[in-house]
Amino acid sequence: MQIPQDLIDTAKLKLKSVQSEAEFFQLRSQYLGKKSYIISAFANLKSLQPKEKILAAKELNLLKEKLSIIFEGALGAIQHSDVINALDVTLPADPYLVGAEHPISKVEEIVISYFSSLNYQVFSGNEIETDYFNFEALNFPENHPARQMHDTFYLKSKSKSDHLLRTHTSNTQIRAMQSLTKEELPFYMLSPGRVYRCDSDTTHLPMFTQIEGLVVDEDVTFGDLKGTIINFLEHFFDKEMEVRFRPSYFPFTEPSAEVDIKFGDNGWLEILGCGMVHPNVLTNCNIDTKKYRGFAFGMGIERLAMLRYGVQDIREFYSSNLDFLNQFTS
Amino acid sequence: MKVQYSYLKNFLPTALSQVKLADIFTKVGFECELDGPIIDFDITPNRGDALSLRGLQREFHAHQSTQLKDTLSYKKLKFKKDKAVINKIDKTGCGNYHLMTIGGIRSIKNLDSKKRNFLLAAGVPLISPLVDLGNYVMLEIGSPMHVFDLDLLDLPINVLFQSNNEPFRIIGGDLKNLEDSSLTIQDQKGVQAVAGVIGGEKTAVSKSTKNIAVEAAFFYPDKIVNEARKYGLATDASHRFERGVDPAIQKQALERFIFLLGAIAEYDSVKCFEGDSQAVKSNVVSLSIDRFNKFSGLLLTKKTISSLLQNLGFSLNSSKKKNLSFKVPSHRFDISLEEDLYEEILRCHGYDNIPIKPSKASLIRPQNTISSTSALKTGLIFGGFKELMHMPFVSEENFMKLNSKPKKPAQLLNPINENEPMMRGSLFEGLFLAINLNVKKGYSSLKIFESGNVFLKRGDDFIQHHHISGIVYYHEPQKSWDSKVISYDFYSFKAEIYQLLQTLGVDDLRLESNSNNSAFNLNSMDIYSGTKVIGSLGEIDLAITRKLIKNTAFGFELYPQEISRHSKVIKLKSISKFPSSTRDINILINKSNTYEDVQQILATGSISFLNNFALVNTFEGKGIPAGLISMTLSFIFQSVDKSLKDSEINDSMNHILRLLKKSLQAEIRS
Repeated sequence: MQIPQDLIDTAKLKLKSVQSEAEFFQLRSQYLGKKSYIISAFANLKSLQPKEKILAAKELNLLKEKLSIIFEGALGAIQHSDVINALDVTLPADPYLVGAEHPISKVEEIVISYFSSLNYQVFSGNEIETDYFNFEALNFPENHPARQMHDTFYLKSKSKSDHLLRTHTSNTQIRAMQSLTKEELPFYMLSPGRVYRCDSDTTHLPMFTQIEGLVVDEDVTFGDLKGTIINFLEHFFDKEMEVRFRPSYFPFTEPSAEVDIKFGDNGWLEILGCGMVHPNVLTNCNIDTKKYRGFAFGMGIERLAMLRYGVQDIREFYSSNLDFLNQFTS
Repeated sequence: MKVQYSYLKNFLPTALSQVKLADIFTKVGFECELDGPIIDFDITPNRGDALSLRGLQREFHAHQSTQLKDTLSYKKLKFKKDKAVINKIDKTGCGNYHLMTIGGIRSIKNLDSKKRNFLLAAGVPLISPLVDLGNYVMLEIGSPMHVFDLDLLDLPINVLFQSNNEPFRIIGGDLKNLEDSSLTIQDQKGVQAVAGVIGGEKTAVSKSTKNIAVEAAFFYPDKIVNEARKYGLATDASHRFERGVDPAIQKQALERFIFLLGAIAEYDSVKCFEGDSQAVKSNVVSLSIDRFNKFSGLLLTKKTISSLLQNLGFSLNSSKKKNLSFKVPSHRFDISLEEDLYEEILRCHGYDNIPIKPSKASLIRPQNTISSTSALKTGLIFGGFKELMHMPFVSEENFMKLNSKPKKPAQLLNPINENEPMMRGSLFEGLFLAINLNVKKGYSSLKIFESGNVFLKRGDDFIQHHHISGIVYYHEPQKSWDSKVISYDFYSFKAEIYQLLQTLGVDDLRLESNSNNSAFNLNSMDIYSGTKVIGSLGEIDLAITRKLIKNTAFGFELYPQEISRHSKVIKLKSISKFPSSTRDINILINKSNTYEDVQQILATGSISFLNNFALVNTFEGKGIPAGLISMTLSFIFQSVDKSLKDSEINDSMNHILRLLKKSLQAEIRS
């Protein structure tokens, strides 16, 4: 019996041009169906001599097996390509919502992560605070005009009237320092949080976010403070900055400074306050001023965020306006 | 303090431009803003001494390292003590008291236009030539003055802490009830001025005034502070006295006044009186050169330090090898410590000239605190939630809606908006407003959250808790482009929050029906970690949203401080190598029973080989008797040490059926 040897090659060739499942099944039927050469060849076997019959049957079985494998493999490929061809993958995804961190949180996180890398410990504190932790321990004498710089919200209370909304996060520094043991010095901390001033316009809000830093260590100098601030600002704005330290006054630091930066065409812009910790403050926290000195700095996150993102009106941050907030998704 | 640049230049020997001059003052600590021809000096509360042209002169000369020369003209006066004019002085409040009486004043003219413009630019209103002159001398030299109509005064004067409890009519006509703690200037008829704050209407000068008494005094700052505010006032005099007025310049101020009066009026006589005075002690402060250089990071010499301080009016008291001591000038109330001198030296040397050192870092790594807040926030953001922030002030009504009794609000004494005097007790109010605002703007699908503190009053104290609260709201059902409706219901929401907390690794997480949270209706649950409530979730009670939200919304409230994320000790279970078998049953139970009841029975039923079970579906309606519900449950059985036989699984299934029948009267549905 003569078995055509090109059967496999022609089948492979024809399979290549198959476009659909229907064409495939038609072709498969030509090669493996009831009317195919193989099946009719099997039927013709009975006319052969027993010896020839065995040899031819073996050969035919092998051929059938090979063709089956080729067609099986081709079917997978055709079905797969059918699925891909069935979809317009450019149609939109099902509706979904994109989450986003608030810009104030984003900026707060940048500052915290920078100082955390310098091993500053993060503390959060009370927003409702007593006069002692917000003012007295920070060297604000009672009734001192410096208190007027902090338009303070006071809380109604029957027996005590000294509860207030903290005007800065320095209260956290006092609480942290007062709970320190001698072994815990030197001490590097960061206190982020909401603070309150009874004031509202396009550049001031009755509540805003502040981050203060405090270092208590031996041999701390004003030069260390300058370096720490400048390096931070250059990290934050990701460029070399023109920075100016200008004498100022805070009761809790001596000397005190306001820090200005050159930003855009606006000339000098006040960005944060800082200074060497006033010895009275350290004494109030039982820290030996002969051995330790400190520096502290504080900044408004809204101000940093306004500069970073070019926000004109500080009130936008608290407006819930998704048209505004949707721009901070990345 | 606002000063015209052109006027200021008369007092400063300089040709510097307005911008350059402002820059110099800014660099030494007086931040300047330019407003046309005016320089607005920001004088910090510790530097009352700089609230005059004389004060600004001193700072300028210190910066330029030049000597200040007084170029003003005075008419020399002699002062005498006379108990018939100045009688009792309370020296605890008043350091010195001077009165200059001027008789027969006539032909009074206005101050020249330059002085009047100077006053107006400084924000001092023009009243009358005599009062204006007193104000002018105050701005020039720094000593506030008060001018009485002498004919209306019943001498002698007493300066006392005593109000006589009579209502006092101040200049301008308002009546004030004075307190005994206030230092007052009294004549024989009663109080005629509140010391350092304001004079009285009765003895004020008028157009018909012929004879005057000009007061120049020193009142101690701590006795004047808060006095003006106490009576709802703020005057130029009180602003200066509470910050500290130089106690050495009162006589000079009167000598300047009388000199300038000559240019605007004629008068017949001048008499000057002084009361008993108490000299203000001047501080002596020492300074160690080494300590200063270590503090600043500079290497200044004794000579440089000495000269910088002397330029500021400090006089050298003693000089040793490495130590100096200085006598503090009488106008500097802010200097008492060595560090105060450091500040003076540094600001005059220039902060910009202090060398910059590398960032200061701690060598000790702080304890690793894993914050639930930031993990929760990150989880929510990846779940499609947007973070919002709101002001924490709310009305009493809105506080009460979201906080059931006995919760009490923390109330502000001085709210910025009188309709919102309470601190929020829940974060939901802000979120309701946010939904309303954004739906109006056309947003129909919203997932929002806020992280912040809420406040309550407890007894005499206040408490604050940190919350993270959020809302999911679909104003319209979400649809895909092929009209497929993407449904979202209580169970979708529950899955989101549960998934978040489980992914976070909250210990022993479970939910219990019916939260007490006022924000939710009955479809709500408390979230527990063990026995601790760590939050709640539920369907927002639309009745409390004041129509800010129109359709079904779901909310959650989480307490990050209560959520512990300690690294858990994980006990590994052995994993079975043997096949598992699944069996389903369909039961009918009374609708008053919950799925939680079923769970409870199965979880505590000691069912052999039960690996897991799940609810496949529920059905009620056609074919199910009223009041009953059908539940299809699927059970997975598996053993860790053998392949299970059918008979073993059947035994367990029978055990399950017995338990459900006994506890819930469950029926098997064919």
